[in-house]
Amino acid sequence: MRTEKMNYYFPIGLFLAMFLDGGLTQVFAKQMFTNTMAMESRLVLLFIVMAVCYGNVEHLVMWSAIVGLFYDMFYTGILGVFTMILPLMVYVTKYMFQFFTRSFIVVLLIYLIDITIVTFLFFWANSLVDFTNATITDLIGRTLGPTLIYNLAWFVVLFLPLEHFFETNY
Amino acid sequence: MQKSFFNKKLVIVLIALIISFLLIAFSIAVRNNRKAPTFVQQIGNDAAGIVDRVVSYPLDGAKNATSSFFNLMNTYQENQQLKKQVDSLAAKDAENQTLRKENQQLKAQLKLSKSLTNYDQVTAYVLTRTPSTWQNQVTINKGSLAGIKKGDSVLSRKGIVGRITEVNNSNSKVELISTNNDSANRFAVQVTSKSGDVINGLITNYDTNSGDLVMGQVTSKKKIEKGTKVVTSGMGGSTPKGLLVGTVEKVSDDDYGLPSKIYIKPAADLDDLSFVTIAVRTDD
Repeated sequence: MRTEKMNYYFPIGLFLAMFLDGGLTQVFAKQMFTNTMAMESRLVLLFIVMAVCYGNVEHLVMWSAIVGLFYDMFYTGILGVFTMILPLMVYVTKYMFQFFTRSFIVVLLIYLIDITIVTFLFFWANSLVDFTNATITDLIGRTLGPTLIYNLAWFVVLFLPLEHFFETNY
Repeated sequence: MQKSFFNKKLVIVLIALIISFLLIAFSIAVRNNRKAPTFVQQIGNDAAGIVDRVVSYPLDGAKNATSSFFNLMNTYQENQQLKKQVDSLAAKDAENQTLRKENQQLKAQLKLSKSLTNYDQVTAYVLTRTPSTWQNQVTINKGSLAGIKKGDSVLSRKGIVGRITEVNNSNSKVELISTNNDSANRFAVQVTSKSGDVINGLITNYDTNSGDLVMGQVTSKKKIEKGTKVVTSGMGGSTPKGLLVGTVEKVSDDDYGLPSKIYIKPAADLDDLSFVTIAVRTDD
């Protein structure tokens, strides 16, 4: 009975996280995009990682592909980037998770690795279609560090509520 | 041995990769060539736009509340400065109106109903911003139903901010002028030199470190003063003439003595957009 509830809650939360990504970026654009740093909000990935580690969600790969498709359609206009990256992250997280027992620190480290992979893949996809001519040094210096810190902050804030959310509906 | 090459997972990964690359190629083609995205994309985007309005409503509310608090803090100082400006503004406004009327009459006499400076205004508010370093892009809440076309220029109160790249029924995407996309549609701009000559060029780049726009393709050697206003020239596309881009920050010479690059400080604040105006050119 309980997992059935998750069938509704999970997609709603996933899409909420997706729209919050854009909303937060718009509201804090002045702080998030300066000359020296750029932060990319990835709440949707946080939600997926928490679902892999703490939740019992059916069709996780399918849902992450769907939300990835909307992410591409609504935000970037280039289909096929997040549609691929998000399901891939589900697999990567599941794979890494096999070797650990779950705890705050472990999930945090897995999440940071995921963010790094996503940032690199997203940069690679963007330079592939000539959307940017930035170098890998620009990426590491300007984007990767601030992005990790920003998402780390959200992880610390949202860890307990999300853990509670996924465990009560397990 | 043969079997391990064709295991199920590998095949799935390969097919997914191929589909992904096809999708990317397809969307680039749509972006570069078509007036509007495909039907399915439009429906998805319109639906997402509606949901996004609901989600971002409380966020915008919180932002407005904090910004109005900070506005209140320096209201007194601002008020005194503004009082001085208001007096001169009224006179300028009256002069402006007379000139506009005269301009209209002269145009009517010349039977020149359409010129490069005419455009219709559509006001929209910014729904969301792409959470990406590589694309400086925002989504606005007006689309083809409001008469917006792909390629239209987008302005804030202070100056030009970007160009429409994708039009759906009820929302559209704006690529900001600070983009470094190599295939972006560039703005043709002009600046008046010290001696009064008009110098034409293109906004070719954005310098991320200094936050300046770079005007390239300049062939003139004329001296340009710092602080001169740069406006769009209305050439080669759907941009009206005379929209403010920014002011000249510095001019750098290349090895052969030509001013190859003019650095422009953008007039609009590209990271603080809530309302924008879309300039729909009326002469085509």
